[in-house]
Amino acid sequence: MIYLLLIYEFFKIGMFSFGGGYATIPFLYHLSLIYYWYTPNELTHMIAIASITPGPVGINVATYAGLKTAGIMGSIVATLSEMLPSFFLVIFLSKMLNKYKDSFFIKSWITTLKPIGCALLTAVIINLIKAEKNDYIGLLLVLFLIILSVKSKKETIFYMIIAGIIGILKAFFVW
Amino acid sequence: MSLLKLFFIFVKIGAILLGGGYVILPIIQDEFTEKRKLLTNDEVIEFYTLSQSLPGIVAANMTMFIGYRLMGKFGALIAMIGIIFVPFLTIVCLASILGSFINNRYIQGLLWGIGCAVIALILLTIREMMQHSDKNLFFYIIFLLSLTALYVFNLSPISTIIIFSVLGVLYKYLFERTTE
Repeated sequence: MIYLLLIYEFFKIGMFSFGGGYATIPFLYHLSLIYYWYTPNELTHMIAIASITPGPVGINVATYAGLKTAGIMGSIVATLSEMLPSFFLVIFLSKMLNKYKDSFFIKSWITTLKPIGCALLTAVIINLIKAEKNDYIGLLLVLFLIILSVKSKKETIFYMIIAGIIGILKAFFVW
Repeated sequence: MSLLKLFFIFVKIGAILLGGGYVILPIIQDEFTEKRKLLTNDEVIEFYTLSQSLPGIVAANMTMFIGYRLMGKFGALIAMIGIIFVPFLTIVCLASILGSFINNRYIQGLLWGIGCAVIALILLTIREMMQHSDKNLFFYIIFLLSLTALYVFNLSPISTIIIFSVLGVLYKYLFERTTE
């Protein structure tokens, strides 16, 4: 049953992703490798769309992945399943976590999760860059955007728009 | 405050949440402390910190906290449906239109450009996560081991998280608890 599989996989993503919207990408990338619901290349398109539409990127990309996998019902199931762990955590754990958040185990667990989170994203980045390694203009654009954002701290949507315009111009001149 | 009112407030927040979940903090502050005086600024900051330390999407956690605080379990549920309302419809509509335009060269160019921006943003996320951690030997060892597990041995993200959380906490328990 595709819906049960979606519930299971997206509930896990909601349960185990730490550190903002892009933290869900390693999981979605892994899904593309084991289930073939979408290709890694389609995933990059999905992330691109999810980043420019309103709403949290992590939720949007779940909606899109669900839609790609099993239509409208799939997107509803994936979105809600990803948010459900938050619902339970907030209701059952928030008071407890507040009480225990200075305990030795919770503190050392959170310090351990940080390097793991960095490693998860780094592994995805290596795969993404490897897939684009012959696209020199793309790598240059990535470099340009990083320098730009380090020099001037603007909202993320600003860089999306600039990159989008450069992309359209590239289609106009290069192709 | 009624459930319907709460629903529409979160529909609005979902609609103006552009550029990822990070912008939710100023929007929530504006809506719930400045305009409606339903929450204190300290409460909102505490929810935000807790949201970041809990697993899951930060913006989703934040939404649940506020819904729950204001109107209990149903509040959390209604707030959740509210915040995904507009984003959900946008994705579904856009995806169905995009299917027929996906091979258009300008759309391809647009997606290519935004794809590059996403790579840059993920790199910046890593940089930011690194900045907010104590970069001692423990950090680098866990980082390199989990990267090797993921990239060389193709371990799934979840197995990696579980295995190295256990190892990391065990290490801290054995070697750092005694020195405190």
